[in-house]
Amino acid sequence: MKALCWQGKTSASVERVNDPSILNPRDAILRITRTAICGSDLHLYDGYIPTMEPGDVLGHEFMGEVIETGSEVKKVKKGDRVVVPFTISCGQCFYCKNQMWSACDNTNPNAWIMEKMYGYSGSALYGYSHMMGGYAGGQAQYVRVPFADIGCLQVPDGIDDEKVLFLSDIFPTGYMAAENCDLKGGEVVAIWGCGPVGQFTIRSAFMLGAERVIAIDRIPERLKMARAGGAEIINYEEVDDLVEELKWVTGGRGPDACIDAVGLEAHGVGLAAAYDYSKQRMKMSFDRPIVLRQVMQACRKGGVVSIPGVYGGFLDKIPFGAAFGKGLIFKMGQTHMHKYMQPLLQRVQNGEIDPSFVITHRLSLDEAPEAYKTFRDKQDQCIKVVLDPWKEAAAA
Amino acid sequence: MTITTNLAPKNGEKEFSRRPATSTQEAILTLAAGSALAGLGIWRRGWFGATMGAAGGYLLYCGVRDFQRPYQGRVRVSYTIGKDRQEIYDFASNPQNWPRFMHAIQVENRGNGQFAFSIGEPAGIDFESNVQITDQQAGEHIAWASAEQMLEHRGVIRFKQAPGDRGTEVSVALEYKAPAGPIARALASLVGWGPEQVVRESLRHLKQLLEAGEIPTTKGQPSGARGIRGTAKRIMFREGPSEQAVEQTRMAGD
Ligand SMILES: NC(=O)c1ccc[n+]([C@@H]2O[C@H](COP(=O)([O-])OP(=O)(O)OC[C@H]3O[C@@H](n4cnc5c(N)ncnc54)[C@H](O)[C@@H]3O)[C@@H](O)[C@H]2O)c1
Ligand SMILES: [Zn+2]
Ligand SMILES: [Zn+2]
Repeated sequence: MKALCWQGKTSASVERVNDPSILNPRDAILRITRTAICGSDLHLYDGYIPTMEPGDVLGHEFMGEVIETGSEVKKVKKGDRVVVPFTISCGQCFYCKNQMWSACDNTNPNAWIMEKMYGYSGSALYGYSHMMGGYAGGQAQYVRVPFADIGCLQVPDGIDDEKVLFLSDIFPTGYMAAENCDLKGGEVVAIWGCGPVGQFTIRSAFMLGAERVIAIDRIPERLKMARAGGAEIINYEEVDDLVEELKWVTGGRGPDACIDAVGLEAHGVGLAAAYDYSKQRMKMSFDRPIVLRQVMQACRKGGVVSIPGVYGGFLDKIPFGAAFGKGLIFKMGQTHMHKYMQPLLQRVQNGEIDPSFVITHRLSLDEAPEAYKTFRDKQDQCIKVVLDPWKEAAAA
Repeated sequence: MTITTNLAPKNGEKEFSRRPATSTQEAILTLAAGSALAGLGIWRRGWFGATMGAAGGYLLYCGVRDFQRPYQGRVRVSYTIGKDRQEIYDFASNPQNWPRFMHAIQVENRGNGQFAFSIGEPAGIDFESNVQITDQQAGEHIAWASAEQMLEHRGVIRFKQAPGDRGTEVSVALEYKAPAGPIARALASLVGWGPEQVVRESLRHLKQLLEAGEIPTTKGQPSGARGIRGTAKRIMFREGPSEQAVEQTRMAGD
């Protein structure tokens, strides 16, 4: 089959590799019909996540048709149309049973690496480095889905792939980021980052009762899309002091909840940012916590800081005094996907939201290496790329 | 805190013998290798360099330490398994099930509560060790001790009900005396055969098998060409030694 393989920092190529096969009794094999490129993939592409190896198949947002099932797969049948969450969960451990799916104990074959780094290992992820399991990803024509009965969400007929594809990651991720803010109605929520995750966070915050959403980015088309979703917008490059600006527009209170939907590759200006860049470049740190600092500074007293943006290592110059002094509440982590997929599918079916609004590019798998660059550099007004692994590349 | 198994040495030795695990030459060799690696690591920089530097530092540390005292190790690993205590005990105490969850270990049942263990994949290099079950109480614990002096070890696996209906705390405490020098030990742990890893992964596999019904794996999955370094790392990343690589043809479009 064709698959997009990581080849090293800022290098990926489409290769011919073996087709996946059933390796364990609870596995299924999918013929992938649609797959997407995520902001998280950019962290791999830019070389910020350790334990990637040349040849690793990328991709964790995919859906398709089941073509084969292992002997212990009971619910999922050949021919089912399914969308698959990016976290792999067993369904049987303490964490799965208590809806903390991304903390599953039993799916990471390399759990020992995470135990060394973090104390404990979370669930494995598709196509996201060997320390996260080393599973081959879904920017390919076929994929192996372990624990298929738990991992596959059956999609009813008559609903477009594009409307359900993002149940694999970014819609639940945005939703959980908003849910973590514990909204009761009437809140002001500020969201850093208007990438795909930010976009879904904006819409979810409104669904859950936020009265005002303030979206922060610098890319015009992303800010425009945020406004279309009902948010007020701030271009952080056009204001002197973002924290002061937020204070100003919230009657001096500060936002009730602040969401970091940017993560470790935050773009920044000024001295602190230059410091983070140079540290990252010298490999002294993998993370640039520019947004995280702002979020902690801007949040109102006793407010919630919700962090869907990914961080990997040790962070420097974190204003923990501010967090303590204001009694902030922190919520973060990989999304507990399985908890949200069914209810969010319901919302899509009810017509409350059409997730395909974020898609700006529809391409073939062969065009993926180029698309990574376009998406990363925010060229061509790119916000979200969806790939059809069976489509022939457009004639160059 | 010591991990004495208390129950173990009924038939075995009371104390481990005090032979230094390494000779002076071995320790000198280790120090040399350690300095070289650490130097190389500092020179290479970056993530990979840091790893080499750390490995070098570790060897240096081993070398220095081995000059000071005999090598004796301890392993303590505990996982909570979300199953009934008796069920886990019954499964884990049955030698027929051992090959299903033991990591990097082959077992041969010699009868009379005696077993021969060897470390490594089938037909790999082996340390053979004969083991005697020294104490056993159904649903509670199983203790063992090695029968001879070459690779001395003794340990106990305990089963204890976890609080809050979370199943059973299964723990292994092991004391051992390694026959190999520090270089061999460092290499062994690189491929997952260090005593700590053998115990940890075996216990983890037991948990996975009992809770999820299978042990997660990526052995045999597709990947692009990995190059020499990547291929070597497949063992470390539990993808197994590389099987026949498919011929790589670069596709149009990149
Ligand atoms: N927690 C999870 O389970 C989960 C799941 C999916 C994605 N993520 C993470 O969410 C983050 C966002 O993902 P995405 O797909 O939207 O990525 P993206 O790269 O498309 O979006 C990031 C956005 O942040 C903006 N940005 C950069 N610096 C900023 C700053 N200083 N202030 C405000 N905005 C800034 C960028 O302009 C961009 O629009 C990533 O870190 C990704 O890894 C987490
Ligand atoms: Zn994603
Ligand atoms: Zn689980």
